[in-house]
Amino acid sequence: MSAGVPTAIPEPSRTLAPAARWQWRLEGLIGVVVLLAGAVVLQVTAGGPWSLLGWAAAGFAAVVLLGVSPELRWRRWRWEVREEEVDLRHGTFAVTRTLVPMLRVQHVDTRRNLIEQGLGLATVVLHTAAGTTAIPGLPVAEAGRVRDRIAELTRTADEL
Amino acid sequence: MSSEPAGPPGPMPPPPEAEAAPAGLEPVAGERRLHPAGIVVLAVRALRGLVLPLAILILGGSLGAGGGPGWRTLAYGAAGVVVAVAIGVAGWLTTRWSVSDSAIRVRTGVLSRRRTDVPLTRVQSLDTLHGPLQRLFRVQGVQVQTAGAGRAAEIVLSALPAADVERLRAAVRGGAAAAGTERAAEPPPLAERTLTRSALLVAALTSGQLGVVAGALAAVSQVFDDLPLARLALVPDTAIEWVLAGAGLLLGAWLLSILGAIVAFAGFTVSRDAHRLRIRRGLLNRRDATVPLARLQAVLVVEGLLRRPFGLAAVRVEVAGYAQEPAAAQTLFPLLRREEVPAFLEQLVPGLADGLGGLVPPPRRALRRYALPGALAGLLAGIALCFVPPFLWPWPLLLALPGAAHGWLRWRATGWRLRDGRLAIRSRRLARVTVLAPAARLQQHALRQTLLQRRARLADVTVRIGAGTGAAVRHVEAADAGRLFDTLAQRGAGAANVNGGR
Repeated sequence: MSAGVPTAIPEPSRTLAPAARWQWRLEGLIGVVVLLAGAVVLQVTAGGPWSLLGWAAAGFAAVVLLGVSPELRWRRWRWEVREEEVDLRHGTFAVTRTLVPMLRVQHVDTRRNLIEQGLGLATVVLHTAAGTTAIPGLPVAEAGRVRDRIAELTRTADEL
Repeated sequence: MSSEPAGPPGPMPPPPEAEAAPAGLEPVAGERRLHPAGIVVLAVRALRGLVLPLAILILGGSLGAGGGPGWRTLAYGAAGVVVAVAIGVAGWLTTRWSVSDSAIRVRTGVLSRRRTDVPLTRVQSLDTLHGPLQRLFRVQGVQVQTAGAGRAAEIVLSALPAADVERLRAAVRGGAAAAGTERAAEPPPLAERTLTRSALLVAALTSGQLGVVAGALAAVSQVFDDLPLARLALVPDTAIEWVLAGAGLLLGAWLLSILGAIVAFAGFTVSRDAHRLRIRRGLLNRRDATVPLARLQAVLVVEGLLRRPFGLAAVRVEVAGYAQEPAAAQTLFPLLRREEVPAFLEQLVPGLADGLGGLVPPPRRALRRYALPGALAGLLAGIALCFVPPFLWPWPLLLALPGAAHGWLRWRATGWRLRDGRLAIRSRRLARVTVLAPAARLQQHALRQTLLQRRARLADVTVRIGAGTGAAVRHVEAADAGRLFDTLAQRGAGAANVNGGR
């Protein structure tokens, strides 16, 4: 895995479930369907070069959203729960490394949308005073364990 | 009227008891209603919410009828008033509050009933609102602020007679006694600063809240959609008319912002005792709020477009639990000379005070990464303008130049510093904002690097400090970013320092 910016803190090492790729593909499908509908409309109303543009856009989106992007994203996603912090690393074009101190986590829960329920996945959501951070695409059982572990770690300290 | 804080800020207690289950909605002993003036206060509040849609309806009605205001306008106006009064009455009828030895309880809600219990020991302060309506009926509006995280005032009682306010204060003080603090009388402030009349005027003239323009434009465009005739008559078609229209809009926005600033900040006084800040302000609505020092997360020094050339700045604070309240509520001081800011912070918020200089800038090679997106944005805006009358192609394309200049200004304004465990991050969108926060108060921080930045050895660092405040430095040296990231992660490293440069 590429190093990017070298940091002293060790990189996170755990990965998401392989099924997470299918979750992203299914979520991307909605966008592709919308673009396809748009292309059909363009074909029917305008025709000519505009419709080509519509089909090209839909095709490009299909390749990216359904093929390339989920695979790359899944390969790049890393997470780790340590005693002091939650360490995340994700992103393809822009790699982002996020650190959430355990002291700052106010509460943690898991959520599952329809697609996740179908695939046996769940998202762990951390709540801090500044908003939420999420670890998507974990197997349900593991998500539950992660949530419980974080909840246990945050109980030991109490701060704003 | 003063507000009564309760208890020193200790370790964070668990959140106050939340709404009871529906079974707990029976009446509680000793419940009272709000003062009947509450009907008027609630009705006026509802009317304010209805004003914009009503105005659009009325404008649309009168212009469309091709004449002056007619019966339709009167009908709309009357309907609006009736609806507002109904809302006020419904709110007043359904709100009941009580205070016992242990807690303040409020039952409220027209459609969905809600009961909120706030233990007295968790009450941070009682903030009061003394506006013209309240003065007319000799009541006060009360907001009970608690130690709960992430929400605006837990309990809002819109109109209470003075006697009830005193009962509340006595109960809260009793709660404070139970929590272990005895307070005989209010101690004299340790530091205080008041906004002078001339400073208020300067603050008002330079406040430049341009957001009003966007709202006005949106309302106007909605009216135009229904009235093609008006559109033809009023939309400018020559360049001169465009310029005049733009200038007129800006002038109108400026006048409105002057008025807004005066109303919000007249008589601004901030003072501090051992544990709390007290902020009093307001012309029509006199507000008195207390902020426990421990809840301050960060200081923002905002040098707006109109203030920066004169070396002036406004100081705001990010307060845990207050983020949903409008920006004026978080102003620590509306106007200061920039050189005065460090000393002012030292006096009033010593835990967050820091200098404003000596920040590490992004390297030279980052300049084009600031300038190019700006130029592109200007170019796109110019292209869009070319399609709009009066079709001044290709002159609008020149907007790329101010876009690039803005990018250059942003590059010059960006900087960061981590010294003695205190972080300073400066950036610019329109105003130049310097965020000062102890590294230990960060909620989270992140390191970001795109593929293009990889090749140039640059990276971004972003921090989140509170619900309303975050800060980012873009395109800094990757090595510095890495070290900053590592150091910020070492929580409790009180003397953490990171020096820029290789």
